[in-house]
Amino acid sequence: MSPSDTRSDPPAGSTPGDDVAKPSRPAARQGELALFAPPAATDEMLVPARMVNEWTYCPRLAVLEWGRGEWAGNADTAAGRRAHKATETGAAPALPEPEALPDDRTLKTRRLLLASERLGLTAELDVIEADDGCVVPVDIKTGKRPHVAEGAYLPERVQVCVQALLLREAGYVCDEGALWFADSRERVRVELTDELIATALRAASDLRLTVASGRLPPPLDHSPKCVRCSLLPICLPDEVNWFRKGAIARTPPPAATPALPLYVQTPGARVTKKDFALVVQVEGEADRAVPLDEVSELVLAGPVSLTTPAVHELLRRDVPVAWMSSGFWYLGSTGPQGPRSAAVRTAQYAFAADEARRLVFARELVAAKIRNSRTILRRNWRGEDGERGPLLDRLALLADRTARAETAAALLGIEGEAAALYFRALPKLFTEGVAALPAFAFERRNRRPPADPVNACLSLLYAVLTRTFASAISVAGLDPWKGVYHVERPGRPALALDLIEPFRPVLADSAVLMALNNGELAPDDFVSAAGGCNLKPKARRALIAAYERRLDQETTHPAFGYQVSMRRLIQIQARLFARFVSGEIPRYPHYVPR
Amino acid sequence: MARRSNAEHAYVVAYDISDPKRWRRVFKTMKGYGRWLQLSVFHCRLDGGRRAEMASMLEDLIDRDTDHVIILDLGPAEDVELAVESLGKSFQPIERRAVVI
Repeated sequence: MSPSDTRSDPPAGSTPGDDVAKPSRPAARQGELALFAPPAATDEMLVPARMVNEWTYCPRLAVLEWGRGEWAGNADTAAGRRAHKATETGAAPALPEPEALPDDRTLKTRRLLLASERLGLTAELDVIEADDGCVVPVDIKTGKRPHVAEGAYLPERVQVCVQALLLREAGYVCDEGALWFADSRERVRVELTDELIATALRAASDLRLTVASGRLPPPLDHSPKCVRCSLLPICLPDEVNWFRKGAIARTPPPAATPALPLYVQTPGARVTKKDFALVVQVEGEADRAVPLDEVSELVLAGPVSLTTPAVHELLRRDVPVAWMSSGFWYLGSTGPQGPRSAAVRTAQYAFAADEARRLVFARELVAAKIRNSRTILRRNWRGEDGERGPLLDRLALLADRTARAETAAALLGIEGEAAALYFRALPKLFTEGVAALPAFAFERRNRRPPADPVNACLSLLYAVLTRTFASAISVAGLDPWKGVYHVERPGRPALALDLIEPFRPVLADSAVLMALNNGELAPDDFVSAAGGCNLKPKARRALIAAYERRLDQETTHPAFGYQVSMRRLIQIQARLFARFVSGEIPRYPHYVPR
Repeated sequence: MARRSNAEHAYVVAYDISDPKRWRRVFKTMKGYGRWLQLSVFHCRLDGGRRAEMASMLEDLIDRDTDHVIILDLGPAEDVELAVESLGKSFQPIERRAVVI
């Protein structure tokens, strides 16, 4: 091993081309110039050692996390945190200056932050051991030691190498690093070869340049690495590759967490935090405690109060709070949602400014909506057989006609015509028992306020569906208020209204049908006042529960072919829309089941 | 080492804590992870991440020499039919469904 005086670093202050001539740098392969990113300017972010590891593992992962502010945890990241706990407790003596380093005893310290603007690197060191005038950075890894010739995989070795380079930069003598594998309790020595140093510096430099260019590297192709990657639900490697190669996607990406929304809509209810749970207090009822981890979103409708400690805890956990009126009009959300980056939103605004692209998208959107309403009619038809065929044909014709619509206004006409046909046929989907009840007579769709029970149910679930999409859209980094097909108006989540169009029949209408046909709603579950009709509290709960049950049902994704719950499908579609506006995939695959 | 799966599993967590102060803390913590079944016994439905978090929380709370916590993995929450005989009160597996209040 070479001692510390033959350091291989990118040259300070020199032009990037100079460093090829430096003797200490390992010779670049023929025909390839080793061009490094210039030293970091003062306001530039330094590349963390962990990100150099991730760039080496998967460039897309590093750019998503470091450049786009995305993060998601899974069982492996939780296990990693647990393994690191050992470094967070106990004494952490200060690391003495290099000259004052004791040479006669072993010193151990932990949790040290190092940075170098010249290298453009920073690192958080788990454990540093000093012995005999030399220091050794030790990085803690969960899992077992891999049985490979180098002792560990390249990404981990590169990470330790960056830590060692930073120690050298701070003036210490550092000849080697180490990795500690917590599960098998084994230590692996990492030799700082010139080759490893060059790889580490190149990775850091490539990452910095890629993030600066704003480019998102393509996903890995059917890589075994993806399966356990915690960013799988965000990155969607197979889904993106489907557009590039037509390859069949493997399994659907897991949901970010298995948590579910918690709805509180009983007037006068109070939501408080107690220890690790949210407690909902309703007068005259026993308190209900829901563990905080099991709440993906807190939905508050109407006069419901939420305490400040509960808000703080929800903010800390990144759980959004959706505020809705008692009529379930979406007012907005509280909370940090989505990635800490505006990259996707910027692309969304650029997309929304492009009239031509908008129209192409809107055509497909309306066609998908008409096809889906046709599917609902086809599947649930209980009327006379003779009427069914011509109606389905007319809807199919209208869906085809969208492709020739020249303007958004023409598209609106086609959409309206199809909606009239569809809603006129809706009572044909009711069971005989429901159809016989005069309370559930349905002639046409009306709203503001809905005049009859069926319209009241539809309005409620459309509002809840809008909220479901508004959350999924924000989590994907998009702006729910900027639409493509719907005109923006203050207080109108236009993008959510756009994207729910194909889902209205499959999620909301079918949940209403399910609740009515199963007898979950009875005529006395509704109150009519001042020309409007409303659901009683118990009925509202039943209908929302039916909708949430519908979200848990599985479906086959029409493009990717795998089985996926509707709940996850919505998250996948929101992510795909974000990829689509960013130009990473050529078109947005609408959900059009057969 | 506990299995590391992102799928949801059903668990029974039982503990013996010698000190009342620590016992109370463990009890409060466990309420954030599962349903209280009996004295010092909780029934949980957790994915791999929450399972690891729960274990590391408990690890911090207990005294390794005098206390004891066991986490029994009953298998995948969705697929496994729990063969439970419950005498006296009834036992219900935790269903995953949105709460509407």
